[in-house]
Amino acid sequence: MITIENSLITVIALSTPLIIAVLGETISEKSGVINLSAEGTIMICALFAFVFGYLTDIAIVGLIAGMILGSIIAAFLSLCDIKLRMDQIAVGFVLTILCSRLSSYLGQDYVRISGPTLNKMPIPLLSDIPFLGNILFNHSLITYISISLIPLTWLLLNKTTFGLSLRAVGENPNAAKSRGIDVQKIRFIGTLIGGALLGLSGAAFSLYAKYGWSEGHTANYGWIVLAIVIFGGWNPFRAAMGAYAFGLLQVLAIKAQSVTLALSQVLPLLPFPLMIFILIFIQYINRKDSSSVPLIIKSLIGGNQPESLGKKLPKEL
Amino acid sequence: MNFNDLKINFIRFILSILIIFFLLLSFGINPLDVTNALFIGSFGSFEKIIRTILVWVPISMASIALIYTFSSGMWNIGIEGQIIMGAIGATIIARSFLGDTFISPYIQLFMALAFGGFWGLICAILKVKGGVHEIFSGLGLDFVASGIAIYLIIGPWKRKGIASTSGTEIFHENSWIPTVGNLDFPIFLLIVIILVYVFTFYLLSHTSFGLRLKATGINFFATNKFNFSSERYIIFSFIIAGALAGIAGFSQVSGSYHKLVPTISGGFGFLSILLVLICSRNIFLTFIISFLFAALIVGGSQLQIKLDLDHSLVGIIQASFVLSWLILQRVNLEKKILNIFSKVFTK
Repeated sequence: MITIENSLITVIALSTPLIIAVLGETISEKSGVINLSAEGTIMICALFAFVFGYLTDIAIVGLIAGMILGSIIAAFLSLCDIKLRMDQIAVGFVLTILCSRLSSYLGQDYVRISGPTLNKMPIPLLSDIPFLGNILFNHSLITYISISLIPLTWLLLNKTTFGLSLRAVGENPNAAKSRGIDVQKIRFIGTLIGGALLGLSGAAFSLYAKYGWSEGHTANYGWIVLAIVIFGGWNPFRAAMGAYAFGLLQVLAIKAQSVTLALSQVLPLLPFPLMIFILIFIQYINRKDSSSVPLIIKSLIGGNQPESLGKKLPKEL
Repeated sequence: MNFNDLKINFIRFILSILIIFFLLLSFGINPLDVTNALFIGSFGSFEKIIRTILVWVPISMASIALIYTFSSGMWNIGIEGQIIMGAIGATIIARSFLGDTFISPYIQLFMALAFGGFWGLICAILKVKGGVHEIFSGLGLDFVASGIAIYLIIGPWKRKGIASTSGTEIFHENSWIPTVGNLDFPIFLLIVIILVYVFTFYLLSHTSFGLRLKATGINFFATNKFNFSSERYIIFSFIIAGALAGIAGFSQVSGSYHKLVPTISGGFGFLSILLVLICSRNIFLTFIISFLFAALIVGGSQLQIKLDLDHSLVGIIQASFVLSWLILQRVNLEKKILNIFSKVFTK
C-alpha cells in the first residue's frame, strides 16, 4: 500500500510542470499559434527561475522570473508572427534551438549546486484524510497551482468572452474580425498567456519536480508537451489526464529499470506514436460521417483541432 | 541568382555577423578572438579540414534533403528520424555477414537510402492520406526512430557483457567508408555529395519534375489545373528527402563514429532545418552556409581549449545568425542600405 501511495505522490509531483506547460500550449494553440519554442522556453526559464531563486534565496521570485521570461519569449514570437508576418513555425523552431543553447551556455556556473526549493505545504484538515489526503493535499504551492489551473483554463476557454474570441480567432480569423474582434490583440494575448505558463512550467522543473540545474535539464519535455496537447484534443481536462498518464509512464520506467534497461529507455517515448495515432483518428472522424463513431470513443480520443492552427494570419488582418 | 540578389544576400550576411558580434560583446567575449579560434580550429591543419568535411557532408546532405520538402511546401521536422533510420540501415549491413567484405559500404549506402526513404514515406502518407500535420508526425517519428535506435543498442546489438547506451561494437574496418591517404581523406563521401549537389541542381532547375515540385509548394490547390497531383509530389519530395537524410546517417555511422550510438544524428537534422530556413531553395547558398556551419562546429572544440568558452556558444552563434537573417529578410533593411549606397555613389 505504501509503495502505491508513494508512486502516486511521485506521479503527481512529476506531472506538475508538464500540466502547466500543456495548459499553456493548449491556450496558445487554441488561438491558432503553435508555440514550437516550448522546448527552448521551458529549458531557459528553468535556468532563469533557478538563478533568480538562488540569488534571492526565495523560490517564489524564481517562479515569477520564469513566468516573465516565458512571456517575453512568447511576445517576441508573437510579434514576429503578427507584425512581421514571419512563419511562426520557423521562428519557434529557431527560438527553441537558440534558447536551449543559451541555457547550456549561461547555466555553466549553476550546474549541480543547491538552491531554494518549494517546500511542501500540506493543506490543513484536507491533508489528514487517509490515503487521499496524502496523495492530493500534501504538496508544494506549485502543484496546487497546477491542479487549480486545469478548471481555470477550461473556464477561461469556454465560459468567458475572452475565451470565445480566442477560439474564434483560432478557428477563423476572418470571421472573428467581422464580429468586431481585434484579431491581432487576441492572438498576441493568447500566445503571451501560453508563454507565461511555459515559463512557469520551466520554473516548476528547476524549483520543484527536478531540483537544480544541469545542462539539458528539461531536454525533450517541450516536445512531449506538444504531443500531450494533441493527445488531450485541445481540451484542458483531457490534456491534464495525458500529463498525469505521462507522469505514470515515467514512474513505471524508473521501476522497470531494475527489470530491463531497454524498456525503461523506450517507455518515455510512448507519447509520440500515441500522438500520431490520435491525429490520424481525429482526421478520420472529421472526414467520415462522424455519427458512425460511438460518442464515448469520440470524446475520449477525438478532438477539435483549431482550423487556423499554424497558419499565418490573412494579409488583410 | 542575379547580381542584385547577391548584393542583398551579402549585405544581409554582413549585418547578421555584426549582430552576432554585438551579442558576443554583450557576453563579454571578444568576437575577433572567437573568429580566430574557430578558424584555426576548423582549417588549421589538414586533419582539421578532414574533420570539417566529415561534419559538412551530413549537414549538407540533410540540407539538400530539406530543399526538396521545402520546395513542396512541407516542414520536414522528421529529418532527425530519417537520419537515424539511415544509420540503422547501414548498421544492419555492417553487422551482417557482409560486414567484413569490401562491398559493405556500397550496400550500406543503398540500405541507408531505403531506410531513410521509407521513414520519409511514412511521414508523407500520414500527411496525404491521414491528414496529419507533418510537424507533429515528423516530431513523433523522430522520437520513434531514436527509440528504435536506443532499443537496438541496449537490446539485440549490445556489446558483449555490457548493455549501455554508449554504442554498439566498432564496425569491421572493411565497413568503414573508403578513404585515401594516410590521413583518411573521405574521397567516397565527397564524390557522393558532389553528385547529389549536381543531381539536385539539375532536377530542380532543368526538369519538369522540379517545376512541378515547386508549383506544389506555391499553391497546393492550383496544381490539378495542370493535370498533376500535388499529393504525389509531396510523397516524392518526402521519399527523396528521407533517402538523402539516410545517406547523412550512413556518413555519420560509417564515416565518423564507425559504430551506432544513440545520438547518431548529432542534431544535424535540426541544424539543417535552420540552414534551409535561410537558404530556402538556393543551392549555392546551401553549399556555402553548410560549410560555414560545419566549420563552426569543428572549430568549436578550439573555443574550449584556447578561450575557455563552452562549446554551446557555437549553437548560439548559429541560431542567432539564422534568427537575425530571417528578421532582416522580413524587414528588408538591406534594400534600404543598398538604396542609400547607390544614392551616395551616384552623387
